[in-house]
Amino acid sequence: MELLPQALADGVMLGGIYITIAIAFSLTYGVMHVIDFAVGEWIMFGAFTGYYLNKWTGLDPFLFLPVIFVAYFGVGYLIQPVIHRVLSGTKGNPFLMGLVFTFGLAIMFKGLALTVFGYYSNSIPSMFSEGAFNFDVFGAAVTIPTVRLVGLAYALAITAVLHYMLKKTNFGLGVRALAQHKDAAGLMGVNSRRTGSYVYGIYVGISAMTGVLLGCILSIGAQMGNEYTIFAFFVVVLAGMGYLAGVPWAALLLGLVQSIFMIYFNPSHTLLAVFVILYLILLISPRGLFGKGV
Amino acid sequence: MNALNSRTGLLALLAVALLVVPAVVSDTFVLRVMTEAIMWVGLAIAFDVIAGYTGYLNFGHGAFFGIGAYTIGILMMRAELPFWVALPAGGLAAGITALIAGIPTLRLKGAYFAIATWALSRAIQQLALNMEMTGGPDGMRLTAFLNPQFFYYLMLITVGGTFVILWYLLERAPFGLKLKAIREDEEGAKALGLNPTKLKMQAFILSALPTGILGGIYAYWITFIDPSSTLGDMVSDQAVVMVVFGGMGTLFGPAIGALLIFAFKTLFWAYLSDFQLLYLIILGALIAISVIFIPNGLWGTIMRRKKADKIRPERVIEAGVPQEEGN
Repeated sequence: MELLPQALADGVMLGGIYITIAIAFSLTYGVMHVIDFAVGEWIMFGAFTGYYLNKWTGLDPFLFLPVIFVAYFGVGYLIQPVIHRVLSGTKGNPFLMGLVFTFGLAIMFKGLALTVFGYYSNSIPSMFSEGAFNFDVFGAAVTIPTVRLVGLAYALAITAVLHYMLKKTNFGLGVRALAQHKDAAGLMGVNSRRTGSYVYGIYVGISAMTGVLLGCILSIGAQMGNEYTIFAFFVVVLAGMGYLAGVPWAALLLGLVQSIFMIYFNPSHTLLAVFVILYLILLISPRGLFGKGV
Repeated sequence: MNALNSRTGLLALLAVALLVVPAVVSDTFVLRVMTEAIMWVGLAIAFDVIAGYTGYLNFGHGAFFGIGAYTIGILMMRAELPFWVALPAGGLAAGITALIAGIPTLRLKGAYFAIATWALSRAIQQLALNMEMTGGPDGMRLTAFLNPQFFYYLMLITVGGTFVILWYLLERAPFGLKLKAIREDEEGAKALGLNPTKLKMQAFILSALPTGILGGIYAYWITFIDPSSTLGDMVSDQAVVMVVFGGMGTLFGPAIGALLIFAFKTLFWAYLSDFQLLYLIILGALIAISVIFIPNGLWGTIMRRKKADKIRPERVIEAGVPQEEGN
């Protein structure tokens, strides 16, 4: 019981970061109707970019976040037309081909990362790495490292910006329209190609930035992608595919599951626990926790 | 009729050639490579039942292979059962896993299924890494049965049998048409009175069963299994690339894809073993390139071209010749 407040605090901090990945991922699915199997690899690439920029310049990795976002936005913006081409093809089954294509990308990126970075794992040092806040909750000591708090603040900021973009801007209106009905949105003058490229770019940029944070808080390694791909899927399926409002709750639940497993059970069983929960939810409520997915 | 006869003749010739190989080839290495090539053909065609014919991508096909391998390892080494009892149990274990995993996921859209199968394979790998019964990360050693001819024939008979059964079910019996109907239009298939969930489940189990048995044979043949070799993503990744490159939704496509990719892998491993990681990049790139340039796969593209050569309706019309005369 003494460890419970600590477990909950850790869970909320981690869950906050997963929100950013899952919202961007869910947006992409809404607009392009394809699941990107490379989500974890974008996180991994972002983390390594942060790691090397920090190593070469000695500056704090948090300072590079905007640079990394812009760079990876560009990468995503350039790759999306290829995915669009696959999805709008007439040969074979475009939907299947889209899935296979991103799966192939993920394998390629993983191989690339293993070749270049090797198998070792590391963590990114930051000015926030040292400090920690100590609280006293009903007699139980809770320690919150500064870096995790900064991570949570980052997650809230990203979520707020995305929320504003989706609800208040014309671009966001276009994105939501595309998610609802692609053809009708096209008739109303929404350019599905350009909007798709922007959304995919934003998603890749956010994933890469989040990778830097995860590298500061946890660790980085060429094989880290797999785990985060599963986490992103978990959150999106749990929330209900395409139902954005459910994402924060599902992400928090994932963070809690992970931190509780780390403290009370065998941490190497986390993936198994995540899968069992996913399985049960799909069995009981196939459209996610709130029954609002597609 | 003529084309059918020549094809049957070719296949019969191939079967006879494959049967006499161990008598002619004395080099164990060559026999070993051939045994593994046959195994990959079996894995690829089994994968295609659910992916190509039904249109549901299983990115965790390797899980069934590993489950079969581990079932046989555990039954033979821990329970000391004979191989012939353990082998069907391996297939059964894979089939039951498919049944359990399919119940919630196959009712849903394909994307959920792709995710769930992939997550399942990762979860099972973690389970094998952490269980005592499986030997954890150290893996398991099986009593060696050193008889390359035996394993060659066992693999050949299993894969050949699988091929014939699948060919009958998918290309000759209505079952294959029903699966294709689901792939093309699930709602439409429902309207025709088919039960897609049940059919998809049957296809999924049909895909898992032979894969589990092949995993079992592999375990007894190689005598050493560990979570990264049998349950890692390599088996699934290779199955995907073989089927996509060869041609989804056919039986010959995946078989050809399997042979080509396996030949490439063997050569790569023999000459470029220092650059093993490069192989992963090439696999991924090959998937992406096949999707963009030959979405129907090698076999599908060739067959389509052949058909187009025969008919060419636009030429017939342009020349003003009545279509009946063209045929």
